[in-house]
Amino acid sequence: MKTGVVLLWGLVVAPLFCGVSVAEEPPIFDLSEIEKEVEKRPYAFGGFLQAQPTLSGLDQDSPLYKLKYYDDEPGGTLEQSNLGARLEGSLHYGDLTAFARLDSFLTHDHEGWDGKMTLMEGYVSYKPGPHMAVEAGKRVTKWGKGYAWNPVAFVDRPKDPEDPEEALEGYYVAAGDFIRSFDGPLQTLAFTPVILPVYKDMNDEFGQTGHVNVAAKLYALLYDTDLDLLFFTGDSRTTRWGFDFSKNLLSNLEIHGEVAWIQNFQEMTFLPEGQVMTKESDVFSYLLGMRYLTETDLTAVVEYYHNGEGMDPGDLKNMYACIDRAYDVYKQNRDRSFFGPINRLTKEGFSWRNPLRDYLYLRLSQKEPFDILYLTPALTTMVCLNDESFSLIPEVRYDPITNLELRLRGIIPVGGDRTEYGEKQNAWRAEFRLRYFF
Amino acid sequence: MIKMVMLILGLLMAVPAYAVDGNEILARVDKNLAPDSYEMYRKLVNVEPDGTKKEFILFTVKKGKDKIAGLFISPASDKGRTTLRLGENMWLYIPNVGKPVRITSLQSVVGGVFNNSDIMRLDYAEEYGVTQVEDRGKEYLLHLKAKTRTVAYDQLRMWVDKEKILPTRIECLTEADMLIKTLYFKDMKDFGDGIIRPALMETDSPLYKGYRSYMIFAKIKARKIPDEAFTLNFMSRLESLR
Repeated sequence: MKTGVVLLWGLVVAPLFCGVSVAEEPPIFDLSEIEKEVEKRPYAFGGFLQAQPTLSGLDQDSPLYKLKYYDDEPGGTLEQSNLGARLEGSLHYGDLTAFARLDSFLTHDHEGWDGKMTLMEGYVSYKPGPHMAVEAGKRVTKWGKGYAWNPVAFVDRPKDPEDPEEALEGYYVAAGDFIRSFDGPLQTLAFTPVILPVYKDMNDEFGQTGHVNVAAKLYALLYDTDLDLLFFTGDSRTTRWGFDFSKNLLSNLEIHGEVAWIQNFQEMTFLPEGQVMTKESDVFSYLLGMRYLTETDLTAVVEYYHNGEGMDPGDLKNMYACIDRAYDVYKQNRDRSFFGPINRLTKEGFSWRNPLRDYLYLRLSQKEPFDILYLTPALTTMVCLNDESFSLIPEVRYDPITNLELRLRGIIPVGGDRTEYGEKQNAWRAEFRLRYFF
Repeated sequence: MIKMVMLILGLLMAVPAYAVDGNEILARVDKNLAPDSYEMYRKLVNVEPDGTKKEFILFTVKKGKDKIAGLFISPASDKGRTTLRLGENMWLYIPNVGKPVRITSLQSVVGGVFNNSDIMRLDYAEEYGVTQVEDRGKEYLLHLKAKTRTVAYDQLRMWVDKEKILPTRIECLTEADMLIKTLYFKDMKDFGDGIIRPALMETDSPLYKGYRSYMIFAKIKARKIPDEAFTLNFMSRLESLR
């Protein structure tokens, strides 16, 4: 099997390097050629091919390892390979546009090969002019100003803060966009209403099924500041209000923030015995961040995030203890039922990604160090302030030739016993990602 | 008497030099480079010391003195990215990432020698005032000073062809007179509708020794564009203006 993977790798990688263009002579430009290149066609097709091998060192004592692998333990290390493509296509006819983005990936790990195809976005839009657009279909609404987290993204799936620039899968919505521009301190006003139906087989991961939900965003560019007021109501999730802003204070300093007021939220307490108690209350989630560029082209992104929907570190410890107990029982008599309380929570939407309340995010990326063009090393850390555990993500990205993107990175969670990052299933992870765009 | 005549003649000859209004020349440079509201295509080429090239094609629309938006048409890895500049505010929209993020004038969305303020340049007269004009035979040398601290280059030295009132070379400097880059304007071309201007802008920088970047202009034409096209919400739909 390993030979097969290597061969597959060779087939993907080798042709890419054949396209390196090395021009020895001064470039000559033909305007008529450029004019041909920019001709607009009524259709477009593109995307990328991806190959991503990953090697993970597993923490076999971690509760999350036990939860995931209790019936099929891979051992101390896990090799995974991911091969596939993201395909995008669009069709234009007058004021109508149809767009689709499809992910199609094959994954190989200790259990063998598995394939998955996901429609990330697919919608039709009607744009009679720059002042308005109406869209229907599966799409991402992209609300919020935060880099790693977006507490006001009421109708989007949550980002992965370890990879916040990765494309998200959308929800099926009907949405409008109405824009007005003005002279004076108020330069732009835009209203974006969204209708989000949640039924069995349509957006059922969003929340309670059988309901039509409504959300809206009012955007203003006022005194050179981006401002958004956001709103969501419906029976699939509780009503919530939001506000965000973003502003450039200097030519190299931007600040941003978000706050979400979530009404009637079911606050959860996980008891040591494995029972879950809930209490209804209004909670606030908020984020404050900045992006700063130094004279040496070092970009720093710093964000503080308070997750009002998060749990107490004591509850997390109780959950870990519950998993440990369930694992021991399973090993003794093959009874899975003790995993029940945890599995129920996961089914109801609980996520192991940032389950606590207060986080700090820092990302430092240096553009083209030592005058090496298209090379960007970066270091990211996410700190859980509630239990002082953190993760370190060193990364190097290199785009040596047109349409080729290479990324090598490691993820190292660090923390004590029963902390968020101290109990991740991976003790470390190293991944290489190659993308070739076409 | 002869001395008096010489003095009067000298004063008369000196008058034209003092009468030159640098800011007026700068306004004419802006007007000659492009109409007030227009669309155009540009090819950006970064050339490394070993000759390796990286190319980008950009569709750009501009309105008035402080609104400009751009759409990357190629390469495939950048296709669909859009940029927007309203005065000193700049945003970048990446289709995968989703929402527009604020960027700064000193960053570069394309790498290489061109930075964001080169790619999304406003009228020179909008960002700079002329502090000194030197008569250099067939050219004027304008000394420009940024009007605010948010402008990418604190000072410019602009050589302007007297006959065409178009720049031939611009040196970009820091406040401490350090040269950041030099822009060279070449290859005059008639784009139609009275737009006659250089079709090629070449740049090098002592900060990027051996690297060169080129900006080739194509299909520049006057166009009326609604203000709503220069908004964050429209960034993902800029393609519809092509």
